[in-house]
Amino acid sequence: MATARPGWSRRAQYGLFFSFLAVIAGIIIGLILLGLSLVSPQTFQTVRGTALDVTGPVAGALHEVTETTKGVFSGAGNYWDAARQNADLKRQNKAMLQRMVEARAIFMENQQLKATLQLREHERSTIAVGRIVGSSFSSPRRFAILSVGTRDGVAVGMPVRSADGLVGRIIDAGTLASRVLLVSDRANIVPSRLLRNGIPVIAQGRGDGTIDVRPLEVGRNPFKRGDIIVSSGTGGLYPPSVPIAHVVKLQGDDAIALPLADPAAISFAIVEPPFEPAAMASQPAAAEGP
Amino acid sequence: MVRAALTPPRRIGQGPWPLAVYVPAVTVLAASLLAALPIVSTIGWYPDFGYLVFVGWRLLRADPWPAWWAAPLGFVNDLFTGYPVGFSIALWSATMLALDLIDRRTMWRDYWIEWVVAAVLIAIDEWLQWRIAETAGGPLPFAAMVPPLVISVCAFPAFAWLVSRIDAWRLGR
Repeated sequence: MATARPGWSRRAQYGLFFSFLAVIAGIIIGLILLGLSLVSPQTFQTVRGTALDVTGPVAGALHEVTETTKGVFSGAGNYWDAARQNADLKRQNKAMLQRMVEARAIFMENQQLKATLQLREHERSTIAVGRIVGSSFSSPRRFAILSVGTRDGVAVGMPVRSADGLVGRIIDAGTLASRVLLVSDRANIVPSRLLRNGIPVIAQGRGDGTIDVRPLEVGRNPFKRGDIIVSSGTGGLYPPSVPIAHVVKLQGDDAIALPLADPAAISFAIVEPPFEPAAMASQPAAAEGP
Repeated sequence: MVRAALTPPRRIGQGPWPLAVYVPAVTVLAASLLAALPIVSTIGWYPDFGYLVFVGWRLLRADPWPAWWAAPLGFVNDLFTGYPVGFSIALWSATMLALDLIDRRTMWRDYWIEWVVAAVLIAIDEWLQWRIAETAGGPLPFAAMVPPLVISVCAFPAFAWLVSRIDAWRLGR
C-alpha cells in the first residue's frame, strides 16, 4: 500500500484496496481486544502467562550479570569514605542495641497479653521465594517480573513482600514467571496505618516510584518526615504490620513516601497466600488485573 | 530517490540478503523483546522501543512489511511489554493507515518533517497509554507523562539511524 494509484492493473488496484481493508480490520480487532482486556482483565490470562514464561527466564539469566556489575561498583563505593561510615555505623549500632532491649521487653509483654486474650494468631506461610528480574519500562503502570510462577504455587492476587517491606501483588501468573503490581502503581491501594501512633491511612502509588499517603480523617496532617507506614490488614489481601514506606515530604493533607522495598535493589521477594482468603472471595473486584 | 542516489555504487556479487524481506519485522520483534531486559525501572521513563523501531521502518520505507502484519506485531508487543492486549494492535494498525494517508498528502519530505511526524505519533502513543491507565484504575497527572515523551522524541533519531543501517545491511549496500 505504497502509492495512491498503483497503475492500470486491476490486480494491483484490488491488492491495494484489500490491504486497506486488512488494516482497518486490524484496527477494529485491536479495539475489540482492548475493550475486552479493560472490561475483564482475566480474559488473556493464559497468553500473557505464556509470554511471561518466554521472557522471564531470559531476564533472570541476564539479571545475574547486571547484579555482579552493580555489586562491583557499589562495593568500590563503600571503600570511599570508610572511616566516617565506620564511626556512623558504630553510633547507630549503640542506639540500636538500646532499642532492641526495649523491643524485647515489649515483645514479652505482648506475648503475655495475647495469651491472656486468647488471640488466634495467623500462621504466616510462604508460597514461593523468587527474584525480581525485570519491570515495565515505558507504561504509566508500574509492574515488575518475578521469577516464580504457577509451578511454584503462585496464583493471581497473592501479596508479595521482601525482607524490607511490601512489594505488591501478583496480577499475571505464568508457569515459570509472574507479573507483580508494585505498591508504587496508581491502581495499588493499600489500607495501612502510621507505625508511630496507629492512625489509619491509605497508601496509593503515584506511578513514579513514590507513594501518596492520605489520612482517613480530613483536617490535620498527622505525618512527620521519617514516619514509617505499615499495612493494617484491612481488606484481607495484605497481611498486617508489613512495613510499606517512609514519609519523605508533606504535601497539604497528604504525604509523599518512598517504598521501603526498592524493587531495583531487593534480592529476593516472598509470595504469601492472601491474608484472609474468605474476605477476598467476597470481593472479587479487589484482585483486578492490568 | 535522493537517498538511493547518495548510496555508493553497487559492488559486484553483493545483493540483498536471502531473508531480507523478513528483517524489518524481526527487528521490531527484537525491539519489543527489549522489555525482557533485567532492568528494574521504578520511574518508567524508558521509550516504547517496539513502537520507535516500527515507526522508524515505516518512515524509511513505504512497504517494510505487508500492512496487515502491524496487527500481529502489535500483539507480540502487548504481550511482552504488559500493555493491555489490543492496545498496540489497534495503535500500530492505525499508524500504518495514518502514514499512508500522510504519504499521499505530502509533496516532499526531509529529516525534520519525519522527526515531527514521529514526534506526533509518539505523543499520541503516550497520551493513549495515559488514557488507558486512567481507565484501568491508575489515574495519573499528565505532567508525569512529559519526561518519557521528551525522552522518546529525543531517542527517535537514534532508532531511525539504527533502522537505516540495518536496511543498508539487509540490502547488501
